[in-house]
Amino acid sequence: MGTISTADFTKSTFVEFKGEPHQIVEFQHVNPGKGSAFVRTRLKSLKTGKVQEFTYKSGESVTEVPVATREMQYLYKEGDNYVFMDNTSYEQFNISSAMLGNYVNYLKPNDVYQILVNGDEAVGLRFPKKVRLKVTEATDGARGNTVSGATKTVVVETGAVVTVPLFIREGETIAIDPETGAYVERA
Amino acid sequence: MKTWKKIHESPALWDRYFVREKVIRTIRSYFEKESFHEIETPILIPHPPAESYLDVFETTLLDRNRKPTKAYLSTSPEVALKKLMVAGLGDCYSLTKAFRNMETQGKLHNPEFTVLEWYRVNADYFDIMKDCEKLLLALAGGTTLIYQKQKINLTPPWERITVADAFKKYANVNFNEFFDMDTARRVAINKGYKVEKNNTWEELYNQIFLNEVERKLGHGKPTILYDFPAAVAALAQLKKDTRYAERFEFYIAGLELGDCYGELTDPVESEHRFDFQMKEIKRLGKTAYDYDNDFIEALKVGLPKCSGIAVGVDRLVMLLADTTSIADTLFFPAGEEFNLHRV
Repeated sequence: MGTISTADFTKSTFVEFKGEPHQIVEFQHVNPGKGSAFVRTRLKSLKTGKVQEFTYKSGESVTEVPVATREMQYLYKEGDNYVFMDNTSYEQFNISSAMLGNYVNYLKPNDVYQILVNGDEAVGLRFPKKVRLKVTEATDGARGNTVSGATKTVVVETGAVVTVPLFIREGETIAIDPETGAYVERA
Repeated sequence: MKTWKKIHESPALWDRYFVREKVIRTIRSYFEKESFHEIETPILIPHPPAESYLDVFETTLLDRNRKPTKAYLSTSPEVALKKLMVAGLGDCYSLTKAFRNMETQGKLHNPEFTVLEWYRVNADYFDIMKDCEKLLLALAGGTTLIYQKQKINLTPPWERITVADAFKKYANVNFNEFFDMDTARRVAINKGYKVEKNNTWEELYNQIFLNEVERKLGHGKPTILYDFPAAVAALAQLKKDTRYAERFEFYIAGLELGDCYGELTDPVESEHRFDFQMKEIKRLGKTAYDYDNDFIEALKVGLPKCSGIAVGVDRLVMLLADTTSIADTLFFPAGEEFNLHRV
């Protein structure tokens, strides 16, 4: 395991925190009034999915946890676990819903995803910034109504409910930010 | 998408951006009622205030023969206002732009920001606390503020707690013992922080503050955190117990909004502190500059007893617009204008 500095932090850096592997899911540089520089982070435990905050001194050395990315196909949900398969080795991996967080709402069976692997455990999923999903249920939004800011809710093919502008219709494909669940654009 | 385009598509967004003009109007009317002078302080200056923790913007002033002189963008109107108080101005304020480099990342900073500084002559930091309470009441237009679903009761007096008491209450640290560097090191290590040989006392203090104290402040009611350790006194007067300085910050929902001092008026002590800050700037490898000797001259003539505060106006706007990022209240946030990656 290597050592990195807070200057090397990215949103997909994995570090050891209190003896456990964590992913840095958010970080920002902060200066307390009349004080030196610090880096405030949100760390997600790779064991429990629990997120906590920690503020590092700027330049502090941190132990990096090696995490590999492997392409895997999403197979099915089993209890609280989501089962993925590496299509080259046919190995199967489970990821708990706690680890997937919001992303579970946008998983499509048979689609291929970037899976994060630490040792012999799958610890997360690297979602793209946008996922494209088909709208399967939509009420007819007032046709020709162009008043900005007006919205309605629709259901997409994974069953997730998304708030969209009125002009989105059933059968269309839309892009969603899987982190926030927010509608991005008509795809 | 650029902000103007977003607003063009969703005109409902205008309301959030118009909070800023209301805030600015309310600030001006508050200080007019209190009979303060509003001063326009320079933004392009020859000497930034001596502050080792800030990175300044450096530029070049050219004469007609292109002969260069170093110039800087102001980090605060403090020095200009203090010189005018030496000249006899009395109570005064400035609502102006200030600039701090290397602050492109994060939700609570923009490299160009709006700062409100006000000073009361023949007043101490407890008088400024009362100003903060009254100003926030005026800004909120009532005694209640809702921020991120949290109800904040602005009715004065706000909670007042010393740094030492806050460390005891939230981090279980005995501050009398913590002043000793060896003890501070031991306390930090026992808490699980990484302590290295070159870490300063200020770093150990602030890491505990940021991790264990700051976020607890200002919930349900604003908190005034006062009497800071002398190591972070900046330009604040030391107290009789010289381990502490006359300084306070106020917090709402864990958010720091203002930083006040009982102002240091002693020119000799000021010069000492400037020298120390200049050494720190070199040690930290930051953009170096010469400090303002004219300010020392002014202090020698005599700064009247006064107290003043700097308030981040963008954060006030963010609070009143109920957003979590100041970029959401700026028509042209730097991150968007310069295409910087927002984290």
